[in-house]
Amino acid sequence: MALMRKYFVAGIVRYWLIHTDYWQTIANRVEIATPLNSWKRLIEGVYLYDHGIDPYEGDSFHESPIMLLFFHFILKKVPYLLPLIFTFMDILTAHILYKTSKAFVRLFEETQEKNKQHVAEESKTMLLNKSQLNEAPDYVLSVYLFNPYSVLNCVGMTSTVTQNLLISMSLWGAASGQKLLACIFIALATHQALYPILLVVPISILLADVNKGCNKCSYIRTLLAFVLCWGFLIYISAYIMDGSYRYVYNTYGFILTVPDLKPNIGLFWYFFTEMFEHFRLLFVCAFQINALALYVVPLTLRFHKEPVLLATVLIALSTIFRSYPCVGDVGFYLALLPLWKHLFTFMQQKFIVGCAFIITSVLGPTVWHLWIYSGSANANFFFGVTLSFATAQIFLITDLLFAYIKREFTLKHGSSRRIDDKPAKLVLQ
Amino acid sequence: MLKLGIPSFFLFILILQIKGDDFKEEIFIKPLPPSHLYVNFHFITLVNGEESFEHSHLAPRSLGEIMSRYQVEELHLTLTEGQWKHKQWGYPVLDAAPGAELYAWFSPEVIDVDAHWKKLSSTLSGLFCASLNFIENFNTITPKMSLWPTGAQKLKQNYTSQLRYASLPREIVCTENLTPWKKLLPCESSHGFSSLLNSRMIHNTNYHSIGVHVRRTCVDNNCLDTNLEIKQTVALVYDFKIINSMDWSFRKLFGQGLPGACPLSSSSKIYIDTTSNSTYRFKLSPEPNNIVLSQRGGSETELAVYNITNSVMMNIVAKYETKDKIFVNIPPPLTFTQYVLGYGKEFGGIVTELTNNYWAPIDVVLLENAPWWLPIQLSSLRINGEAESKLIMSQYYSPGKSRQKPYHLELLLRLPPKSTTTLTIDFEFVFLKWQEYPPDANHGFYIGSALISANLPTAKNYTSLPIHGNTFDSVINASKPWYPMIFRTNGAMVSLPTPDFSMPYNVICLACTVVALAFGPLNNICTKELVLKAAGTPLSLRQKIFNIFKKKKD
Repeated sequence: MALMRKYFVAGIVRYWLIHTDYWQTIANRVEIATPLNSWKRLIEGVYLYDHGIDPYEGDSFHESPIMLLFFHFILKKVPYLLPLIFTFMDILTAHILYKTSKAFVRLFEETQEKNKQHVAEESKTMLLNKSQLNEAPDYVLSVYLFNPYSVLNCVGMTSTVTQNLLISMSLWGAASGQKLLACIFIALATHQALYPILLVVPISILLADVNKGCNKCSYIRTLLAFVLCWGFLIYISAYIMDGSYRYVYNTYGFILTVPDLKPNIGLFWYFFTEMFEHFRLLFVCAFQINALALYVVPLTLRFHKEPVLLATVLIALSTIFRSYPCVGDVGFYLALLPLWKHLFTFMQQKFIVGCAFIITSVLGPTVWHLWIYSGSANANFFFGVTLSFATAQIFLITDLLFAYIKREFTLKHGSSRRIDDKPAKLVLQ
Repeated sequence: MLKLGIPSFFLFILILQIKGDDFKEEIFIKPLPPSHLYVNFHFITLVNGEESFEHSHLAPRSLGEIMSRYQVEELHLTLTEGQWKHKQWGYPVLDAAPGAELYAWFSPEVIDVDAHWKKLSSTLSGLFCASLNFIENFNTITPKMSLWPTGAQKLKQNYTSQLRYASLPREIVCTENLTPWKKLLPCESSHGFSSLLNSRMIHNTNYHSIGVHVRRTCVDNNCLDTNLEIKQTVALVYDFKIINSMDWSFRKLFGQGLPGACPLSSSSKIYIDTTSNSTYRFKLSPEPNNIVLSQRGGSETELAVYNITNSVMMNIVAKYETKDKIFVNIPPPLTFTQYVLGYGKEFGGIVTELTNNYWAPIDVVLLENAPWWLPIQLSSLRINGEAESKLIMSQYYSPGKSRQKPYHLELLLRLPPKSTTTLTIDFEFVFLKWQEYPPDANHGFYIGSALISANLPTAKNYTSLPIHGNTFDSVINASKPWYPMIFRTNGAMVSLPTPDFSMPYNVICLACTVVALAFGPLNNICTKELVLKAAGTPLSLRQKIFNIFKKKKD
């Protein structure tokens, strides 16, 4: 019942905000709408498509053709249902995240049971009990439903709403061991925004863990299923665009080469505004590798036993380092953090990160107004805010990982920090 | 010597006449009461046939070579400073966009039109000392409906694909453009009407526009043979406030009298529109050779004609009798204006207002040409506030692409009688790379003017030549069912958001630091093991400070 009440309240808030006069302002905010996901561009693309002009000929539309067709259908048939559809999608995402986290919690329980014999006697109290574990999904749900970032993202009717839904679906598919479902949705998400391709790794590990049996065969099968799904989607999209693959330049190409330097909450815009022309390619490559490839292998090797943590961290890192991030992405990975509630005691920078989130969220719109509208500030102000927002997120993620390894250590060796009765400290070596 | 010179000169002209090459010069002066004066120079060179270009003694060879090398069928180039005010001044003979404007049709044999276009603009840039070399693909469009060739064309050929149009609204027109322009004339600036074009005086006007228009015209009605017509024009609008009185004379306008006709010209005529004489009486001296009454499309024009033959210094003077009369301005049938909406540097809109003052509907083609850094959204196009307007009869849209292609919208509209039609279209400001901003980035960015082509049903305020006419005589009694005209709206300016230009190193360092902030810890976590390490008793801060002083004492 309490669950229904939450859904209801969150739905009402979203639906009401879409119908207020502030909707236009929210939908146009740089923090919420990027060139990649903004509602305005979606409308423009659908309008062009409707008038027989190839939306990928110009520079105004960067969604995948599947999204184009989907929204073309909705805008033609039932445009009045749009606010409802967006609200519903977001609530559905929350519900799926809830179910996913329930499945994850079951996984935690299993692993904890399995590793019990390695736990030091004095740390036995630290093991998670039933009530602690059962709390987590409720927190996940609440955070997704009432986190202002997610709410604003839904109200802005960005396509990140769809993307969050797709990612949560794939996580759920992985958590419940449905390989095909997980692969289809991760392929859909990849087709839309490219960066979710990172999730293939944790999802294949998860699937192998859940389904048991031959691990390597499972990995290969998952990978194959993903590649097939993705290839099929690429082909279908070209089929929609009358066999033309031009859309690839305007979707993946746009994400990778970062031609539009409109400010957002990420690191790319000012960096590439101020970049020297002959170094541009080098740094585009460096930044994209940083976002797409750099952390996957080491993190996988280190945390292959914790695919859920791996998934959380990869989602978060790709959000921080992607070329066109928005608060909707941030809201999504923040919703996954309550799963790691038991690590919070080991985190050292909670307060700093919390303050930084609040301060940057307030300062961002303020300095944007000062720069763009009143002309009394300049680009550096907004850049500073986005930089500190990114730093705060990085602190959050690294702190979470440190907390995890510290907890691991403590479980194994007990909470005492002494060697032979002499004080000692934990160091990475 | 002189006696010998003149007959040989005439002989020379005679030879040219036989050959069919011809040069004419004309001045058209129209007072624009109450405060302005419009002076329009026309220099027309006709070259017979196609091969003879290289042997012509009248036509500029430099231009001819450009035409033949790049296979240009028709060429229009104007360099303009100032803004023609259609509402107050009526219509000019030829309208021009502020800054530089170039459009050309290439011969149907040309396959790679873009390459020829680039070469043409670069060459013309050298010829006229103008920045036409800034014409690139990202500011070139191919209008589909707005522009049509004015010269003789072979039928049943697709000319639209051979057309290229570009305008550079930022271009500043100066003496350096006028000097090479004058060199193209047979008499250069030593004889004839062109000697009046003294840059000191003509750049002191409210509006000045120099142009070169090259096209093919029919020799006769059968049109089996074509001439090449090179028309060089200068349009000037003087402000009476600047010349300090309403009475004008050649000496006042050009700083000198007219030294006579160019010896190479077959006709040198001055036309003065004296229609406004009925309201604002003025007296011309010396008396004109004759006065022609022209009836054209329901409006009457009185033209005083001077036929200049000799080379005697001459000064035409107009003296106004009544000076302080209230003037009622009757606006021409079609007026328009363009402006930019919005505040801040995030979102804006372009508004184009078209007013039809005539009692019948007028069909116009409106061409909006937005540069790539001003991305317009077609879905936001509203005509009188409506998304789907019945006024649109045909529409063409080619979306722009950043750094490659401008946004190009053409609309065929039927403007209802006695009404104003307002078009709005939204755009979003683009954030450019720091090296893409021009010097003085906060000066603002010019938006080119929109093109409006209309077939006007009435010749009121209409001064253009009929499409087949070479010279000004063709205006007289030239009634036609339609009076075609291509107008340019006023340009506009936007101020794009700018980055801090002094920051590149700082930004690169700071952003890389943040990336390193993630890389370092993640690298540590992934590659290192957590171990418990014995630590010496940590010193408190007080002790540390104490230790420093202790050392110093030692």
